Amino acid sequence: MHKTLQPSLRRRALVLAASAALAAPFAAQAQSNEDIVIGGSIPMTGVFAFAGVGINAGMADYVKMVNDAGGIKGRKLRYVPEDTGYKVDVSVAAYKKITSQNKVNLYYGDSTGFAKTINPELDRSGQILMAGASFATELNDPAKFPNQFLVGPDYTEQIGILLKHIAKEKPGAKVAFVYSDSEFGRDPIEASEAAAKKLGLTVPVKLMTPAGSVDVSTEVIKLRRAAPDYTIFHGYILAPIPEFVQQGKQMGMTSKWMGTFWTMDSSTVMKMGEGADGFMGVMPYRYYYDTSAKAPMLDKIRALRPEYQSTAYTQGFLTAMLFTEAAKRTLEAGKPLDGKNLKAALNTIKDFDTGGLIGTPITISGNSIPVGRVYKADMKAQKMVPASDWINLSK
Amino acid sequence: MRIGTLKESYIADAALFDSRTQKTWLAIGAALLLLFPFVASDYWLYLACLVAINVASASGLNILTGYTGLVSLGQAAFMGLGAYTVAILETRLGTHFLLNLLAGGTVAMLGGLIVGIPSLRVKGLYLAIATIAASFITHFLFANLKLTGGTTGLSVPPAQFFGLPLDTSFRLYWVIVPVMLLMVLGAANLFRTRVGRAFIAIRDRDISAEVLGIPLLRYKLLSFGLSSFYAGVAGGLWAYFFRVVTPESFPLLMSIFFLAAIIVGGMGSILGGILGAIFMTMVPELLKLIVDLLPGGTEMTVFLSPVRTVVFGLLIVGFLVFEPHGLAEVWRRTRRFFHLWPFRN
Repeated sequence: MHKTLQPSLRRRALVLAASAALAAPFAAQAQSNEDIVIGGSIPMTGVFAFAGVGINAGMADYVKMVNDAGGIKGRKLRYVPEDTGYKVDVSVAAYKKITSQNKVNLYYGDSTGFAKTINPELDRSGQILMAGASFATELNDPAKFPNQFLVGPDYTEQIGILLKHIAKEKPGAKVAFVYSDSEFGRDPIEASEAAAKKLGLTVPVKLMTPAGSVDVSTEVIKLRRAAPDYTIFHGYILAPIPEFVQQGKQMGMTSKWMGTFWTMDSSTVMKMGEGADGFMGVMPYRYYYDTSAKAPMLDKIRALRPEYQSTAYTQGFLTAMLFTEAAKRTLEAGKPLDGKNLKAALNTIKDFDTGGLIGTPITISGNSIPVGRVYKADMKAQKMVPASDWINLSK
Repeated sequence: MRIGTLKESYIADAALFDSRTQKTWLAIGAALLLLFPFVASDYWLYLACLVAINVASASGLNILTGYTGLVSLGQAAFMGLGAYTVAILETRLGTHFLLNLLAGGTVAMLGGLIVGIPSLRVKGLYLAIATIAASFITHFLFANLKLTGGTTGLSVPPAQFFGLPLDTSFRLYWVIVPVMLLMVLGAANLFRTRVGRAFIAIRDRDISAEVLGIPLLRYKLLSFGLSSFYAGVAGGLWAYFFRVVTPESFPLLMSIFFLAAIIVGGMGSILGGILGAIFMTMVPELLKLIVDLLPGGTEMTVFLSPVRTVVFGLLIVGFLVFEPHGLAEVWRRTRRFFHLWPFRN
């Protein structure tokens, strides 16, 4: 019995091996012609939908541009978004759904919570490079988050850019921090206070308000007492910033008011009303209507979409651009598209021209792009106008 | 058709599963649960685990709100207590995950006992507002204590089972689903005991219950304790499942989610808690799958996403209006129909 079985087994093994060898080149070919998939947990509904819709459009537009131009080394990009409602569990479900239906190489995550939750899974699978809507300082650590990066400066770096501008404009100035009692709000405060001191600035007051608070009159009085030259808001989108600015001005405060990325979209700042004329903030990207310098990529966007596009759109667009660049460099090096190779390729980006989306060449040596510019609201023109040159913290 | 279910003893009458048909279906259900991980994709396994965690927590809330009549909006806070306990024990001491889950349940139970004290004086909406305090207090503690890692929270290493890290949905399924089943079975059995019946008496009229000799203090607190123990264990499972616990992981909205789940499913019914949790977790996902089937690609997704949310809301309202006894009642009616089928329909 044994003797008769063995040759048949061997024969079967040989047949299997032969067919595998025959099929192997086809498999390799299929692999090389496979689409490069960009998955996305995108908040198209919920509290973050105002940004999610823009992010989605930006990513989709760039992917279309690349595909129309022939793809990357003959391979097409495929963008697979899924709505998350800005909830971590739904976001993870979206990730699982997209990754089980597609061979995903690149992914866009919608929140800090999601970025932290999915990180062990990214490390375990080792197949995906991820970026997203979060600029959390915690994520700017290549050792802890080896398969992720931030498409801009982290929150501490954003305030760092503002502080650098302040130190230049008014050495020794008094800077107040007003922030929300949330992970997002508290994120950069401690490190930024130290950075301010290093730059010779003083921090007379730090005010933490409950997330979503509207009545801030007691905080405004405290702020007025500290008489800062600059007040930096962080951890909010809009409310309660207009209340602070209006009440502060009514009380005769002379402080200049500043915000960070998620407050600084043109449409958000314009909602603050006439009283917020001169409101400043850090922006890593050039605004849609900023024609102060040559920006061929922005020209393309303007031709594609004649109406104003938010900074969230630019963020999505730039994310897709950097994803594409990382994929292109990985393929050019003849390496498979996995998390490690994609990240390594991303980190080879040096003095890269974003087509004017960022007004200065960028270098990604770690997990962030520590570059930004201070813009100022011109309420009459209903536009944000540059108030500084591009500031690069790594230089 | 269902025939021959004549009961000859009280024990047989009180049995959880009383007919052969029921036992057959249970066996089929168990076989499907066993088979499921081997055929399902990672996405469906993830959803199965999430549903199981939500079923466990909703069953706990059902003990308190559905059976004892005490409305609570603190379920998420108790889950948070359980999750943080598990996270702290796992990161600091590295004790066995089953022990951590029990500890998580116990800590949440202690929290529940404290929060339950006002239930002796206030009922209904007033109690619901009193339990909201639990959400705010726990959120404040989680965000400000060093032990809990502040606003950044804690990262939880995977649970270990004889050296095997439980780091995928497939592996965790074998922990989460059995624990959930055990908890649901426990809850179902509870209402065959003196304690469970005392809860029901309190729900129906607490003054009469006291006249009957049921000490309200003890039983109301016991109900709070049990319910939050369930929440704590579910929170512990949540911590192992998501591996990151932050103060923002357990918002007040989550408590409302569980309350909605037992209302939609059917209050005062174990099956109601299960069906409600499945409905609340799965319907948004199923609606997404339906939207995916429609032509139009990405543009359509953007347009239909808000529509989907509205449809989900309308479905909940629809259930409340047309079936106030919840999904469990729909299920019961369906079953009753088959009792005499095909002779009467």
